[in-house]
Amino acid sequence: MSPLLLSLYIIGATFIILFTGIPIAFGLALVSTAFFIGIEGIGRLPLVAEQLFNGLQDFGIVTIPMFLLMGIAIAASPAGKDLYSALDRWLNRVPGGLVLSNLGACAIFAALCGSSPATCAAIGKMGIPEMRKRGYSDELSTGTIAAGGTLGILIPPSITMIIYGISTGTSIGRLFIAGIFPGLMLTGLFMLWAFVFVRFSQGRGREKVAVETYTWKQRIEILPKILPFIFLVIGVLYVLYGGFATPNEASAVGALFAMILVAIVYKMYKPKYFWDIFSETMIESVMLLLIIAASSLFAFVLSNLYVTQSIAKELVAIASNKWLLMVYINVFLIVAGFFLPPVASILMTAPILYPIIVAAGFDPIWFGVVVTINMEIGLIHPPVGLNIFVIQGIAPDIKLSKILWGCLPYALLMIVQIIILCAFPQIATWLPSYVMK
Amino acid sequence: MIKFIRFAHSLSRFSGAISTILIITAVLVTTEMVFVRKILNYSTTWHTEYIIFSLAAATFIGSPYVLMKKKHVSVDIVTHYLSARAKKILSFLAAFLSIIFLVVFFYTSLELFLHAWNKNLRTPTIWNFPLWKVYIFMPISALLLIIQSIADIFSTICDYKEPESNH
Repeated sequence: MSPLLLSLYIIGATFIILFTGIPIAFGLALVSTAFFIGIEGIGRLPLVAEQLFNGLQDFGIVTIPMFLLMGIAIAASPAGKDLYSALDRWLNRVPGGLVLSNLGACAIFAALCGSSPATCAAIGKMGIPEMRKRGYSDELSTGTIAAGGTLGILIPPSITMIIYGISTGTSIGRLFIAGIFPGLMLTGLFMLWAFVFVRFSQGRGREKVAVETYTWKQRIEILPKILPFIFLVIGVLYVLYGGFATPNEASAVGALFAMILVAIVYKMYKPKYFWDIFSETMIESVMLLLIIAASSLFAFVLSNLYVTQSIAKELVAIASNKWLLMVYINVFLIVAGFFLPPVASILMTAPILYPIIVAAGFDPIWFGVVVTINMEIGLIHPPVGLNIFVIQGIAPDIKLSKILWGCLPYALLMIVQIIILCAFPQIATWLPSYVMK
Repeated sequence: MIKFIRFAHSLSRFSGAISTILIITAVLVTTEMVFVRKILNYSTTWHTEYIIFSLAAATFIGSPYVLMKKKHVSVDIVTHYLSARAKKILSFLAAFLSIIFLVVFFYTSLELFLHAWNKNLRTPTIWNFPLWKVYIFMPISALLLIIQSIADIFSTICDYKEPESNH
């Protein structure tokens, strides 16, 4: 059988098996094992357990539970609420100020935690009811939080980037730094759109927004509550980029300080509270790490059966120039996002795409940022957009269609951001090469 | 059946607690490692290996609990649009397919463990850690996962719902 035909069989089988609703980790491992043994013989069976184990023998994986712990500890506290109301008190006079506050709060929270749904939930729980109360439309309120939440995986720390780094062997530290400017830029694009939209629709009488007034005293008095967390963000970034520590070390220090801060600022120090945080961290980490283990088996089998190489060769042959190739890859990733959550998407496609990217002369760090923005789009488009479901959980009375309409402009802005990054790759590549010479 | 489900759930909860403890130790050891390396300026010997091994062990041993909590991500785009009956049938199929893989995983990981045990394989590092101590988590995890998957099938048959609790 030709490797290309075999790859079609494998892709088909993977989708059929995953569509049964089997946990992705088990599904991937089952498909890999079946094809491996079927083609190479039963003698290769011992490799299954060995490869699953080897998939976890990368010191980079330690950042996953650490950054999860940091995010979960902060998300369990009222820090999200304070962050958001502080920004609101400072931005209340700007048109669409509350929307901008929410986006800003999402961006800052994203820097404290590496997960999109967590960012979405932490800010959205307060933000959505408040925006609706003050007269913003359901579409704008929900779309803003869903999209703002996706910043969680672009602005460092980012679990998605860690996983990209592990599966392609690129530096996690560099990936993190590369995400900073595009993350800020995307936040800026989101804010610009919200500002223009509210301005425009206010004129036509659509968004009748109530503006709260705050005294300077109110503005100042909330700062002590959020400053420690801002310092935490700056501290982790400084430790990471000042060359003092590796991402692994920075993640551990970040997690430790996040827990100490939450305990001091919010007086949350009961053992039960800590156990719950660790328990939640365990669940999320185990889920992610098991998929990492399974996809390392998957990638190993694909490569052993020469599937990865033949798909790569074929893709390069189809695309006549490298930018056309980039368009194909992006479309492919967006389509993959229709079916797979970001982690699975990256782990399954990165081993195939990485050699193609490098061969075509693209910067793998830059590509990591592009992939991440792509995954962000996947988080807010149906049918598996995780953030959409988080929003539905927060505001069950808002129709799904309204949430989707609210997300659409933001998804388009993300595509714009990808195009900007293609035109000016330096936005992503300059800072890492400057900081880490 | 209900008895078996409860038995499986208590096993899974126990495995979850062990996994949580392993993660806590990994966090503590990592922070200690940073302290020793950066503040005291000493080099560390066993820390890195301990962290990687404890996380791998936590991943395997925590899996049954995560399965019980239905927190392993899956693609539910098809199941979402099906009738209750079809959903049930598909969930049986998914559990059955899981069990096929888990049996293979149990067998191969047991072999791996026994091999490391018999040959007394150790890591080629200063720590010289016996590998069976970490390999053993894999067959145990596979076995517990099989039990939990069977419990899931039973739960679907008799519409058993896990009573709400944190642990």
